[in-house]
Amino acid sequence: MIPIRINRLNGAPLAFALFVAMYIAYALHMPSALSLFSITNLFNNTVVLALAAVGLTFVILIKEMDLSPVGVIAVTNVLVATQSGSTPYGALLCFLLCCLIGLGIGLINGVLVAYLRLQSLACTLSTMIICQGVALIILPAPGGEVAEFISYQLTDLIGGVFPVSAAILVLVAALWLFLRRTSFGIGLYAVGTDEVAAHYSGIKVNRIRLGAFALAGIFYGLAGYMLSAQIGSGDPRVSSSFLLYVFAAVAIGGTSLSGGRGGIIGSLAGAGILTIMQKMLFSLGVSDFYTNIFNGVIMVLAILLGNSTALLNKWREHRENFASSSYLRGREKQAGSKQAEATQ
Amino acid sequence: MKATPAKQRIAAPPAVFTREITAATIVLAAAVALILIMKLIFPSFGSLAQIAAILVTSIFLVVASCGQGLTILLGGIDLSIGVVMSIAGMMIAGLTNGSNDNLPWAVPLVLACCTGIGVLNGVGIALLKIPPLLMTLAMGTTFFGVALGATSGSLQQRVAPALQEVMSSHLAGIPVPVILMAAFVVVVIVGQQRTAMGRKLYALGSNQTAARIAGLPIVGLTIGAYAISALCAAISGLLLAGYSASATLDMGDPYLMPTIAAVVIGGARVTGGRGIYWGTFAGAIFLSTVSTIITALSLSQGWRNIIQGGIIISALIITFIQSKLSSSGN
Repeated sequence: MIPIRINRLNGAPLAFALFVAMYIAYALHMPSALSLFSITNLFNNTVVLALAAVGLTFVILIKEMDLSPVGVIAVTNVLVATQSGSTPYGALLCFLLCCLIGLGIGLINGVLVAYLRLQSLACTLSTMIICQGVALIILPAPGGEVAEFISYQLTDLIGGVFPVSAAILVLVAALWLFLRRTSFGIGLYAVGTDEVAAHYSGIKVNRIRLGAFALAGIFYGLAGYMLSAQIGSGDPRVSSSFLLYVFAAVAIGGTSLSGGRGGIIGSLAGAGILTIMQKMLFSLGVSDFYTNIFNGVIMVLAILLGNSTALLNKWREHRENFASSSYLRGREKQAGSKQAEATQ
Repeated sequence: MKATPAKQRIAAPPAVFTREITAATIVLAAAVALILIMKLIFPSFGSLAQIAAILVTSIFLVVASCGQGLTILLGGIDLSIGVVMSIAGMMIAGLTNGSNDNLPWAVPLVLACCTGIGVLNGVGIALLKIPPLLMTLAMGTTFFGVALGATSGSLQQRVAPALQEVMSSHLAGIPVPVILMAAFVVVVIVGQQRTAMGRKLYALGSNQTAARIAGLPIVGLTIGAYAISALCAAISGLLLAGYSASATLDMGDPYLMPTIAAVVIGGARVTGGRGIYWGTFAGAIFLSTVSTIITALSLSQGWRNIIQGGIIISALIITFIQSKLSSSGN
């Protein structure tokens, strides 16, 4: 009973409800938000953050930290901006290259964390710094040009009705729903909850760790590819506030930063919430200075919200256990007194 | 009567530090070796003035990474150091505006404001249980926004001349910043290794549950560590503003990652509970030397990043191999 209840109570539905509520508020303020154009726009703005947040979720689920998304995105972005040809073939090549680079960096992080047992925070910090350095060497200043094929096709609609970005997000969600049922998916939660217990139940803990970092890297690479499609050029300096966004999206989506709880779907909703919030702030004419302040405060609130749902769950569980045990005790007492009556 | 021997035991240097002192000294020796190698390749490099310059410019990192070391000792991290440094510089430039008149109250005010940011960090981490990484990142972003709004991002110039003088004058042939740095190092080492507060921080960093059972004021200690971290960053920011005679909103940013690198190179365990300031100091000197060499070789910012990241990873791996060797030796 209790595990099901906890599943139902986790942050994803809450995040989705919040997202829908915010979208309705935004649409009321700006009726044009319901047009296909602005919906496509919203998805296009969300997809980069969403992909990065999805990647980070894998790592957070196993109770590790990853600062490398910013680095991987910077490298893949400048690579696409300098290397993409004008043909669909070049676009495909770039796509594969982004995935490979992400996978490579993810594997490096994974090996350092899983097999050398180095602290993930420090390792991914250094891979991030190195990646940013590589990006600066490839493209010292913002510039370059992304092939038109990439920047048009990936921000467009499929058959004129369905945004490509939305299709990508649906695909990711479907992949997760499948992955969650596999032994890898179950292993993620097991390792994040209690690695010793996971080890004793026969889960290859290190392999799960390596897998989580590798998968995360691929998603960062994809995020970099989509970012290139969005901005149409290269920028070696992805700001550290983007990192804050990625963490915020994961936290708002109800994934516990202490591991073992949450999931991809929530992170997708979290990314949507953050994007729509930016749009609301922009449409209200809030200046750039204050969006920084807002982001910091939202981040803290999001984690507090996540902490409080965890506490609430614990409290409910506790109360339920208590209630059921006192109920049983009551029954015993009743039975006992009846017996006593009967003997009298 | 019986309390006296116990006190003496606390005051005695714990044996575990000797290995760390050796490691830190090796790092310092590596810095000297780097300079010697450079001198062999480029005979013009490594003049006395250049070495003095390395020491003077390393004071920013030496001071700022002290605070980072304390937060890492608790198993946390402080990512707001860069922003706090910039804010301190911007504030002192804005408040003094090129004259010494306001300096007596401006310096304490700046230090107090910046310490306030650290207290906020500590409250969020100790009371609200927000992960240190995110709390300090969020506070950094927030206060960057505040500073940006307050100054419109413009360059604040004309730092008080007295502050500039401190950074450029000499006392008996030794640059004043070097003397200040030496004093700072002594104060921190004594404070961290020989006082009750310092020992409590180690206790808290190595085992939080045990620390709670032992009745240590966990909340107070955590807030204190982050407050000191912000205070160190603020002092470093003031010195940096004095050194460069002006202040910008992003002048502290290049120092954030090196503070972490200095602590890691110094042999501290990133999960907390281990690490001495002598090591962090050695790490900071080493990084400043590397930085000067990179500048001398006129390598680009990209290479600077790659070398910095490579140094952190190598330090981590060396620590790993050391712990493997020592555990197999036992």
